Amino acid sequence: MTDTHQRPQVETAAEHDAVGAVAMEMATMRQHTTGPRFIDKVLAMWPPVALGAIFVGLYLWERQRLDPFKRFLLPSLSEHWNKGIGNPTVLGEVWDRLLITGQIALLGLAASIVLGMLLGIVMFRFRLAERAFYPFLVTLQSIPILAIAPLLQSILGFGLAPKVIVAFIISFFPIPTTLLLGLKSVPQGMIDIFKLRGAGEWTILRKVGIPSAMPSLFAGFRISAGLSVIGAIVGELFFRTGAGGLGQMLINRKIELQYPQMYAALFASAGFAVAVYLVFNWVGGRLFNSWHESGEQG
Amino acid sequence: MRDPGSSAESEAGAPSLSFNSVGMIFPDGTEALRDVSFDVRRGEFVTVVGPSGCGKSTLLKVASGLLDHTSGDVDVDRKSLGYTFQDATLLPWRSVMRNVELLLELEGVSKDKRRAVAQEHIDLVGLSGFEDHYPKRLSGGMKMRVSLARSLATQPEVFMFDEPFGALDEITRERLNDELLSLFVKEGFAGLFITHSIYEAVFLSTRVLVMSARPGQIVAEYDVPFDYPREPSLRFEPEFALLAGQVSESLRASSAGASR
Repeated sequence: MTDTHQRPQVETAAEHDAVGAVAMEMATMRQHTTGPRFIDKVLAMWPPVALGAIFVGLYLWERQRLDPFKRFLLPSLSEHWNKGIGNPTVLGEVWDRLLITGQIALLGLAASIVLGMLLGIVMFRFRLAERAFYPFLVTLQSIPILAIAPLLQSILGFGLAPKVIVAFIISFFPIPTTLLLGLKSVPQGMIDIFKLRGAGEWTILRKVGIPSAMPSLFAGFRISAGLSVIGAIVGELFFRTGAGGLGQMLINRKIELQYPQMYAALFASAGFAVAVYLVFNWVGGRLFNSWHESGEQG
Repeated sequence: MRDPGSSAESEAGAPSLSFNSVGMIFPDGTEALRDVSFDVRRGEFVTVVGPSGCGKSTLLKVASGLLDHTSGDVDVDRKSLGYTFQDATLLPWRSVMRNVELLLELEGVSKDKRRAVAQEHIDLVGLSGFEDHYPKRLSGGMKMRVSLARSLATQPEVFMFDEPFGALDEITRERLNDELLSLFVKEGFAGLFITHSIYEAVFLSTRVLVMSARPGQIVAEYDVPFDYPREPSLRFEPEFALLAGQVSESLRASSAGASR
């Protein structure tokens, strides 16, 4: 065993070259470190803004072509504002119901993430488990959810549970599959580094597998997040009893022909789904941008 | 400074790595290695050259224990093994510092200690100032330096290299060859290097082994007489060219057998 601190300093010409070469590369890299200005970021948003404006234009165009007695189906912008999302009473109701729908969606999503990750790891570690579970995962993913809703109702009644189960079933599939894909894509060389040092399977999984699979898993999180909101709404549409969320508001206002209020519930559900997606996108970006190839370069 | 070139030391010590009539047949029946015997001592740098697909990489995997051999004996202390792959195999979510710390971390070295040792080896490979960079921001040559520092930090007795500079451009490769040699002179490990570049082999090594096409056998062995430290200009010496020519000849002869 050599004492590294007493090692005599041998400096060859080669080493000086090396330092020079590295310094040059460093200088080239520094040029890329300033990010785009805020105003540039805002201006860069023009494509979706322009497309959104086109959609609003088409909406108003179509409304114009409707028979006047049918126009209540597509409320005017002022009706939307005065009787719908701009109305404080309606907004208050939307907010209360959003909390209920949000609770259903997030509980279903949390269950999907915890159980899905466990299943992903088990399927990766034990090939037999993968072969056994995979067909059922695909089946679960393919069943029309409304076909099993009556069964869920018979078993679980009309409380929160069946709606959470629906949100869970709809949002489950992407989690184990993206995690499994990520774990299987770890480069063999990285695993060999650990094997050469005598590391065990669980150490390898913890230090290489999971971190390496994270970007893939987060893609699954983002998909599942949106799906869990859809699941919560679909659950509410079927189980129209109990504390009602946005789904219940949608169907009830439609029956009452209160279209601006129905649209308000619709906008809130869409906004909520996008918000959950953005949260996962943001967290993922914070975690991976610095190192993953998909992250920003500057 | 140790003098790895001195025959007194290299002949005296017990081999750090020893192959004795090693054979390796894959489960599908492919015979990759046949009757391979050689020793590597501390202060020796042995390079294996051979036609592609001759089993050079298999030889290294057997030496490191990643693959099991099917006959003969391999004697090496795997606790004290450095290994560099064709790819730098850095963990992309770890900074340069945390990558160099990795193997020490697996050995349970305390945080302060491993940070100090890692820093020392980052300096050694000329990457001071890059401690917090992530691999994706580094060039291929810099990644390889990090990979070398990661193994060097464990003070390996035997250091194995599987064509580590094969994917780099000529200039970067030569520069890293020069640096690797100065590291070798400082650390004095037993080096086992795989390459398909004859010039790289002769420039680095105390001994060059030529392998035949599959099944891989050692068909020729060349002692390289040049003293360390070797200057980059050695590549332009007539003696260097002569020796490289001889290795090239026997490599050609061994590959010719393959096409028959």
